[in-house]
Amino acid sequence: MSKLTEQHNYKGTLVCVEGIDGSGKSTQLALLRDWLKSTGHDVIFTEWNSSELISQTTKLAKKKNMLSPRTFSLLHAVDFADRLKQVIDPALKAGFIVLADRYAYTAFARDVARGVDPQWVRNVYNFAIKPDLAIYFDINPQDAMERICSNRAPKFYEAGMDLKLSNDPYESYIIFQSRVINEYQKMVDEFGLVKLDAMDSIHSKQVRIREMLKSVLNNKGVNI
Amino acid sequence: MTQFKTKHGYEGLLIVIEGTDGSGKSTQLQLLKKSIQAQSYGVIISEWKTSRLIANVIDDAKERNLLNATTYSLLYAADFADRLENTIIPALKSGFIVLLDRYYYTALARDVVRGQDIEWVKNLYDYAPEPDLVFYLDMPVDVLLKRIIGTTGLNYYESGRDVGFSSDFYKSFEIYQNKCLEQYERMKSEYNFISIDGTKSIDEIHSIMNHEVQKILDSGVLY
Repeated sequence: MSKLTEQHNYKGTLVCVEGIDGSGKSTQLALLRDWLKSTGHDVIFTEWNSSELISQTTKLAKKKNMLSPRTFSLLHAVDFADRLKQVIDPALKAGFIVLADRYAYTAFARDVARGVDPQWVRNVYNFAIKPDLAIYFDINPQDAMERICSNRAPKFYEAGMDLKLSNDPYESYIIFQSRVINEYQKMVDEFGLVKLDAMDSIHSKQVRIREMLKSVLNNKGVNI
Repeated sequence: MTQFKTKHGYEGLLIVIEGTDGSGKSTQLQLLKKSIQAQSYGVIISEWKTSRLIANVIDDAKERNLLNATTYSLLYAADFADRLENTIIPALKSGFIVLLDRYYYTALARDVVRGQDIEWVKNLYDYAPEPDLVFYLDMPVDVLLKRIIGTTGLNYYESGRDVGFSSDFYKSFEIYQNKCLEQYERMKSEYNFISIDGTKSIDEIHSIMNHEVQKILDSGVLY
């Protein structure tokens, strides 16, 4: 039984943004955070692969191309578990609005795109708390690549070079990220991710997100 | 003689020695390695928590008491995956006899004692190949305690202090190891452990293990 499919009972509110790099999710989350702070709400922010326990190890291992799909998956799960228990869970208990840049869905998308069994990785993360609002920024891989690779080549794991899909990092990136996007799209129904078009303007997306969050908070009896 | 087939389908053999700390696993592994090598087979030993990727992270995190039950499980699972993919499976594919000091049964015992759901832990390791032989060194807690106090001394996690059974080191160790033993006891039949009385002499234990290994070798599986 996974907690990811059950509504949580915490006082706080959990919001996450999902999508491949270049989909604009971090921009939107930063805008949301500033707004919530300016309106006097208790907000904390947490991002993927940032735990004190393991994130440096994972980054180093990525640099050295040491990771298999399985160890890639497990190290990110360590990071997530650490942040969930140390940051997210206590903050939700204390009534914070927790803003997460990427959540378990990132693992489901990337790891499965790497060939990890979908049910296996879902079981690994079955301790994850279900977000009150999970937004997925949908973009096609060409547009994302244009945004992030204007001044650099795609990175090894970002391009899925570990899968040996192509020797050309740009081509590999497109193939790999298409798979990731495909997994995200499946999760729109499976987990109720709210899909937004990443190509819409920054303003119009932010308006939609604030509306959705307001309604979530109002349902919890929080006025905003 | 019926043709023996490896349980995992690889060319080599996977042989595991399980048991709690201080049960004599390492000693037996070394003896087994010698006796197998003497017959011109290729042998390697791989020990629990020795991956190049993550072993030092686990040690460091333990030292600083940074681990909760979930990160504890997942870090060990990552260590295991790295060793499995980079050491164990390549060796099995090349026809080596791989001797393992602990296997995922250790995780099943320790993680469940730390309160993790057993199905969740099993899922973490469900891709691991099934060993051809699993020896389990069965030791009563009072003997274990004496051995450990007399050698390495009681350490924080081995005594299960992180679980909070008792703030008294001795008491905590006793409770923790007893709970681990209960888990091993439960796994004996589920995973076909060859259970050996760990209080027997080193030579006696070795000869029991050697006999079992020899049966497989004599079947000609590695020819």
